[in-house]
Parts: sequence; C-alpha cells; structure tokens
Amino acid sequence: MVILWVMCIVLTVALIALLVLLKGVLGAARSITPTVGAISGVAAAASKDLDAVIALVTTQNYISQVVAGLANYGGSLDVALPDA
Amino acid sequence: MELPVLIIILLITLIILALAVFLIATILELRKIDAGLGVVLEGVAEIATKTAPVNGVLDAINVTLVAGRDLLEGLALKKTGPDAAGLVESCFPGEGQRFLQRVGRRGPVVAIGEEYPRGTATLNALLGVSAAAPPAAAAEPADRISVVGARPWE
Repeated sequence: MVILWVMCIVLTVALIALLVLLKGVLGAARSITPTVGAISGVAAAASKDLDAVIALVTTQNYISQVVAGLANYGGSLDVALPDA
Repeated sequence: MELPVLIIILLITLIILALAVFLIATILELRKIDAGLGVVLEGVAEIATKTAPVNGVLDAINVTLVAGRDLLEGLALKKTGPDAAGLVESCFPGEGQRFLQRVGRRGPVVAIGEEYPRGTATLNALLGVSAAAPPAAAAEPADRISVVGARPWE
C-alpha cells in the first residue's frame, strides 16, 4: 500500500516536470515562427533589390567604351608629346 | 479498486494527455516553420540566381579598368619619366608608391602639386606659344598646367 502511495507522488512530480518541459518546447517552437516570417520578408526584399544587378552588364559595356576612348586618347597623346 | 490505484491510473492518463496535447501543438508549429522556411528558400534561391553573374561581370569590368590604368600609367611613365610617380601622387594621393611598385621602380614619391611646369613648357613648345605671352583664352598662368581639372570629383 505504501508503495502505491509513493508511486502516486512520483507520478505527480513526473507529470509536473513533463508539463514544464513540454511547455518550454512549445514556447521555443512558437518563437521561431515569427522569426521565419521576418526572414522571409527580408529575403523577398533583398531579392527585389537585386533586380538592378542586370544593369551591371550595361555598366560593363559603358566601361569598355570609355576605356577604348581612353586608349585612343592615350595614342594621340603618345604621338603629340615627346618622350621624357 | 483501491484509491491509490485509481490515482495512479488518473495520473498516467493525465501524462498521456499532456504528451499528446503538447506534442500535437509542437508538430503544428513545426509545420508552420517548415512552410515559412519554404518561402525563405524560394527567396534565397532567387537571390542566388540574380547574383550568379555578378562575379563574372565585375571581373570583366576590373580587367578592363586595369588595362586602362596600365595604359595610362605606361603613358605617364613614358612621357614624364621620373615625374610620373609624383604626377600620379598629385592626382590620386597615396597612389604614387603603389604606382612605383606596379611599374617595378623604387624611390621616394614627391608630389608634383597641382601644377606641372614641365608639361606646360612642353605644350607651349609644341604650340609655339611663348611663356611670356599666354593665350588669351587660357585660364591658367602660361608657365603652369593645373591637374585640378583631372579630378572631376573635386
């Protein structure tokens, strides 16, 4: 009979501990959800910001043209100015 | 049935119920997280796709710019000789020493300043202009060339 009462006490303590631990796990899981939502929003915004990256190709073309013009200018200077 | 046995059965039932309720709630939250991560993954994949060509384009731009820089530095070295590093230093403070390293030379770098008299003399000689009689349209004194105009960011 005493053993049964001891078992009751042990099970009560176990139930309380279990409730505390499971509540902690659920709380942690619930705290992740809004963070994931925020990350999702940032990823979408970052992706939208990168739409302008394609303009780099135009920049590359412009830079090639500028350097080509510079080369022509340098060639003219090379002819016009005497060497040191 | 004795009272302790009934209590034990009740406690075990409560434990099972608590496990079921909390684990089901946790599973539901984890499913929400999974769905959210799916959306994040789509965004990240989009970012990766959009940034994939950046390295190649920037490398190409750098190669072009380095070629232009080398060309101008070679020209400066050829035309101004020992004054080249000083001219580079005057136009781009701090770059003179790196310029010397790039062209494989050593020595102190003395900034020419914003004016380069030797260049003016050369240009005047080429144009047949006397140093004493500057052209009317010239904004600078006849014996000086300013490199300020070479720095449009100022």
